[in-house]
Amino acid sequence: MTTQPESDASFFDGLTNRRRAVRVRLGASLEILEKDQLIADWPLDAIRLVDLKPDAMRLRATHGQELARLAISDEAMMAALTGSCVNLLVEDHTRKASTARIVLWSFAAAASLLAVIFYGVPLAADRLAPLVPASLDRRVGEMVDSQVKTIFGDKLCTRADGRAAFGKLVRALERAGNLDISPAAEVLDSRTPNAIALPGGRVYLFAGLLDEAQSPDEVAGVLAHELGHVAHRDGMRMLIESGGSSFLFGLLFGDVTGSTAAIFAARTVLNARYTRGAESQADGFAIATMHALGRPSQPMGEMLFRITGNQRGRGPGLLASHPYSEDRLARMKAADGGQSGPPILDAAEWQALRNICKPEG
Amino acid sequence: MTIVLPGAPADPQLPGKPTAMGLRFDGGEGDFVRLAARGALLQFVTFGFYRFWLNTEVRRHLWTHTSLDGDHLEYTGSGRELLVGFLFALAILVPIYLIYFLIGVEVERFQAFGSVPLGLFTLFFGQFAIYRARRYRLTRTVWRGVRFWMQGSGWAYAVRSFGWLLLVIATLGLAWPWRAASLERYKMRHTFYGDLGGAFSARPWAFFRRGVWLWLLAATPVLLFIAAGMAYGMSEQERSQPAMALAIAGGVMSLPVPFIWPWFRALEWRWWASGVRFGDIFLESDLRGAQILKLYLKFAIIASIVSGGAAGLMFGVGAVIVERIFNGKADFDSIGAIFESNQILLVAGSLVGYLVVGLSVGVVQRYFFQREMWTIVTRSLTIHHVESAEGVAARGEAANAIGEGLADSLDVAGF
Repeated sequence: MTTQPESDASFFDGLTNRRRAVRVRLGASLEILEKDQLIADWPLDAIRLVDLKPDAMRLRATHGQELARLAISDEAMMAALTGSCVNLLVEDHTRKASTARIVLWSFAAAASLLAVIFYGVPLAADRLAPLVPASLDRRVGEMVDSQVKTIFGDKLCTRADGRAAFGKLVRALERAGNLDISPAAEVLDSRTPNAIALPGGRVYLFAGLLDEAQSPDEVAGVLAHELGHVAHRDGMRMLIESGGSSFLFGLLFGDVTGSTAAIFAARTVLNARYTRGAESQADGFAIATMHALGRPSQPMGEMLFRITGNQRGRGPGLLASHPYSEDRLARMKAADGGQSGPPILDAAEWQALRNICKPEG
Repeated sequence: MTIVLPGAPADPQLPGKPTAMGLRFDGGEGDFVRLAARGALLQFVTFGFYRFWLNTEVRRHLWTHTSLDGDHLEYTGSGRELLVGFLFALAILVPIYLIYFLIGVEVERFQAFGSVPLGLFTLFFGQFAIYRARRYRLTRTVWRGVRFWMQGSGWAYAVRSFGWLLLVIATLGLAWPWRAASLERYKMRHTFYGDLGGAFSARPWAFFRRGVWLWLLAATPVLLFIAAGMAYGMSEQERSQPAMALAIAGGVMSLPVPFIWPWFRALEWRWWASGVRFGDIFLESDLRGAQILKLYLKFAIIASIVSGGAAGLMFGVGAVIVERIFNGKADFDSIGAIFESNQILLVAGSLVGYLVVGLSVGVVQRYFFQREMWTIVTRSLTIHHVESAEGVAARGEAANAIGEGLADSLDVAGF
């Protein structure tokens, strides 16, 4: 009979914290003896490593007392056990195979999150935005409205003949665009040449844009673009998109040091991507609406280009919230259907609209 | 100290055994740095998901290298448990955030402070998470084959913690010792090692008496600056001189401010240790503020060196790449043109550079605020009457990791 490796060890039975001086004998199983009495018998394939140091190892077994521990510091026995216990390291996640598995699953999780962020969230926003009750849309719009008025001032332009012309223009566009939400459009007395659409259907045309405009078709195109945002409920869509994506990005990066900036950067790039999509859709709506009215779509593009100039090469396009003006002009020029219908506003009405912010009389 | 009365037989079980002993920490510095650096790399590769396993590795390293009376502690938690806890926490928090968002839209219409209640909710829920996370860590802590464990309700703790916090704010911090004592009493009387029950007996007054001068040191410059501001706002002629004098005094009194926090931490720790009981076992700590201050300073110096080095390295790598592309004929316009046409590359490049710097600092941070802090704290402890824990019977079950997940999501996680 060959001699079986044997050594001293300390045993904790997991029932009390008493340290028991034992002998261990490695054969077909690991026998643990106290004063020549067998007190535990661990099958070799049930033995797991708890921790390993240069001069000591702690072991446990998968059956019996959950917290029973065997501490061995005999070098020969440590080597013999490492050789005989096949499952010693299966639960150690720092092994190459386990780490690779964690990395792989993380990739899978990240890929699925990114897929959701890039395709799922916009799709969900598309489908959900029309389901959001109009009343909620209006509430969000009121929130945004007060912020807009803090930034751009709250003075509306109300000269009567100008308002009549503006109303005619908006109604014409509304009919041509088949809007199912009735927009509330106003002219805001701000020198910024811009126009905005808020959730809930409120549209502001800034007076600065009227100063820049050279024909009613230019203003009509811009307004049709904003009505496009209203028709697509872009305000609510953006809210869902940016909320959903920032939440998912937060999930992705967790509490890695410096993740806040990474999340911010990723969100900025992504939101710009979302808005560019929405803007381009609104341009499409504007072109179709102008076609329906038999009016040209090119003037709007020309005015945009006049205001912004060439945009390519000025700042990273990845962060741009709108497509480049030169590209928008090219698109509207290509889609231009010429003049087949009557002018939306006559010369007098156009003059009245341009003077809408002037005092009455 | 065991007092052996004359004539009484000395305990035969404990011949000459010391009754006061320290915790030993014998973890290698290199081992920890390797562990943290490997973890940072894996966190980078896994988009941060590795954090659950890295936190587990760090705890396991610290626990298994800490020994009491010749036997090392053991950490039995796993990264997988933390991941599951995190997913459960998400399932709890996502609907809450969604409902909150909808309510917030309603509230924001009437007032601009609609988001304040969410902050309060997070604060309250965070206390619950802290208690449950402590329970997870405690039930994964094993010494001599017997685990620590914990009872009590996370909600009851959160109510206490939150209520006391309001009082602390109302008293400008002076009620802190009473809050600490109340919370520690709650935690410790629900804490067990096997069948050995814990308790907390330190008096808030002792804490207050020893700590009030720190409070005064912190409050004096604030008061002086307020007084200076008021003096400046008084009459026209005599405004400048007293205001200037008060402001200078405030500036001088601000000099000790950097010392306040380390000294406060050390004081609180010593006070805490003096109150902990497990049966007849009691603790004592001689942690000094200077040790903590030294640790902060070392961290600041090493972190700036490392982050500077990492930033320089990333910049150098970028420069080499640009150099390669242009073959030495680079000028600013052509570089600009390249970046214009490869914006994704530019954004991704700067993001990678930023993350590399962040992760390097993360390694330094873990080294100082986890390993070094653990080292000085454990080495400061003396534990009395360890022998009275001989023969403690195992009790208690391992608790789930949902608390850890919540703490992770709410950003209140400790170790």
